[in-house]
Amino acid sequence: MEQQFLFEVEDLAVKYPNGELALYNVNFSIKSPTFMAIVGPNGSGKSTLLKTSLGLIKPVRGQVKVLGYDSVRENKKIRKLVRYVPQRDRIGLSVPLKVKDVVLMSRLLKKPPPRFASSKDNEMARESLKRVNMADLWDRPFPELSGGQRQRVLVARALAGDGPILMLDEPLAGTDHESQDMIVEALGDYRSEHEVNIVMVTHDLNPIHTLVQDVLLLKNTVVGVGTPCDMMDVDLLKKIYGPTAKVVEYAGHKYCVTHDSGVDRHD
Amino acid sequence: MIDILIEVLSIPFVQRALIGALLIAIVASASGTFLVFRGLSFMTSGVAHAALGGAALGLFLQHSGLVPWFDPIIGALLFSVFVALVTGYAGETGMTQKMEVAVGVSFALSMSIAVFLMYYIPPTQVPQIWGYLIGDLLLLDNFDIVLLAITAIVLVLITLVFNKEFIYVSVDMEGSICHGMNARAYHYLMLITSALAIALATKAVGAILVYAIMVAPAAAASELIKSIRGIFIAVFVIALLSELMGLVASFTVNASPSAIAGILAAFSYVIAMQIKKLRDRVSIDLDQFPQHDEEATLVLREALDTSAHEGHDH
Repeated sequence: MEQQFLFEVEDLAVKYPNGELALYNVNFSIKSPTFMAIVGPNGSGKSTLLKTSLGLIKPVRGQVKVLGYDSVRENKKIRKLVRYVPQRDRIGLSVPLKVKDVVLMSRLLKKPPPRFASSKDNEMARESLKRVNMADLWDRPFPELSGGQRQRVLVARALAGDGPILMLDEPLAGTDHESQDMIVEALGDYRSEHEVNIVMVTHDLNPIHTLVQDVLLLKNTVVGVGTPCDMMDVDLLKKIYGPTAKVVEYAGHKYCVTHDSGVDRHD
Repeated sequence: MIDILIEVLSIPFVQRALIGALLIAIVASASGTFLVFRGLSFMTSGVAHAALGGAALGLFLQHSGLVPWFDPIIGALLFSVFVALVTGYAGETGMTQKMEVAVGVSFALSMSIAVFLMYYIPPTQVPQIWGYLIGDLLLLDNFDIVLLAITAIVLVLITLVFNKEFIYVSVDMEGSICHGMNARAYHYLMLITSALAIALATKAVGAILVYAIMVAPAAAASELIKSIRGIFIAVFVIALLSELMGLVASFTVNASPSAIAGILAAFSYVIAMQIKKLRDRVSIDLDQFPQHDEEATLVLREALDTSAHEGHDH
């Protein structure tokens, strides 16, 4: 069988809405299936890369292919394959949607109207909520949950869906350790049971670095791409995080220590 | 007593008022709720005033002889759709703040057009423009009722079929697009149907009632009720009750029923806020606080001990 690529990016350049260059000279390819992390500090173009690959933003130069489909011409096909978790603060809280309604979204959005939930849909939703230990909150209004709980529900939403690519934009930002561990474990378990690609945008590789296969270090252009241990290199990390970056070894794994712990966002 | 009631209810304009009240409550429930969900309550007054500009354009085109068949209502509907399109364009990324600004700007633009055109319309016709904003439940004619009924039926049908889409667009525009839904189309569909409903309802019952009934009950209900279906029902009930009480009161007090209904609807929001405050205060249950953790105290004491021994050079 022919080798499939999750991402094939050639000479990509993308601008932010304000006209600044978000990405330039980006070239890389990642084989499918994989668990991939896109890592970089705030404003490094991580979310922009994800949105470009989904056709939400048009590149000013170059192209992105997702599983062989072009992000501009064939974004409809890409979106059929993707389950997407936006940054948590992009979710409106003025509607008292129940937790179950949020989780069902990933399944119902791929159906034609009137998008009724079948018993299989409900079962999948329940099962994925169990994975993040939120099954008890099935009937609770989503806006009443804490930030970490909301994030877990959104991850469950991605797990409940169908489609070979999960894309998560900063799913660990602003969550406590309990929620972080739960999310990381759920993603790891899911990946070992299903042949799917997981793409996670994060400014902190540490919580997931034992799980991921491919890491893309990004600072508006590709700083490095490779396995997590190769990327845990002081000189590489200094390039994206500045001179305060350090690498610490603990229990056979390398971890990165920086002064950066902000939440990334771009509107 | 009952005789009087039956007699009153058999008067045609009272019957029309009651049917009108019912239909407006339906419009408020189907459209007003989504606008409040979307954070766009200001759009109601924006659209109603834009309709005024459109009506002025219609009158101008008729009287200048440029386009004699151009009825003011066509202008009103065109302008309200214009507001919806500008608002929708500003909010394509799902950001409410930008939409509110767009409502404000397009509202200002259409009011300016209205005032500008008033100089070119015969002075005797000018009151007809302002008449767009003034209407009353007791002044409805049969045409108004037909107009309102069609509006309500179309609105309810669209809402029944596409309510999930409208909610998804309100909650997570980005996610909806990325999962392959044509979110942009639903985004515009929701805004345009709301705008048309507001313009038609304004034509029928007047701006005051539409402002109050489209916004206040939905705002009140979403403060208190935690299910979407519950909010739709509550909005309908609050809107209908305000209108009926307004009608009854207008027979005893010498005042417009729309004004009284508007005041009552606005009050429902104030009351809802108060109930919510009270409820928040009552629901703090002391038993829910966790017990003090003895172990944590021990660990803390140990930590303090060791750091005292080691010293610290910070």
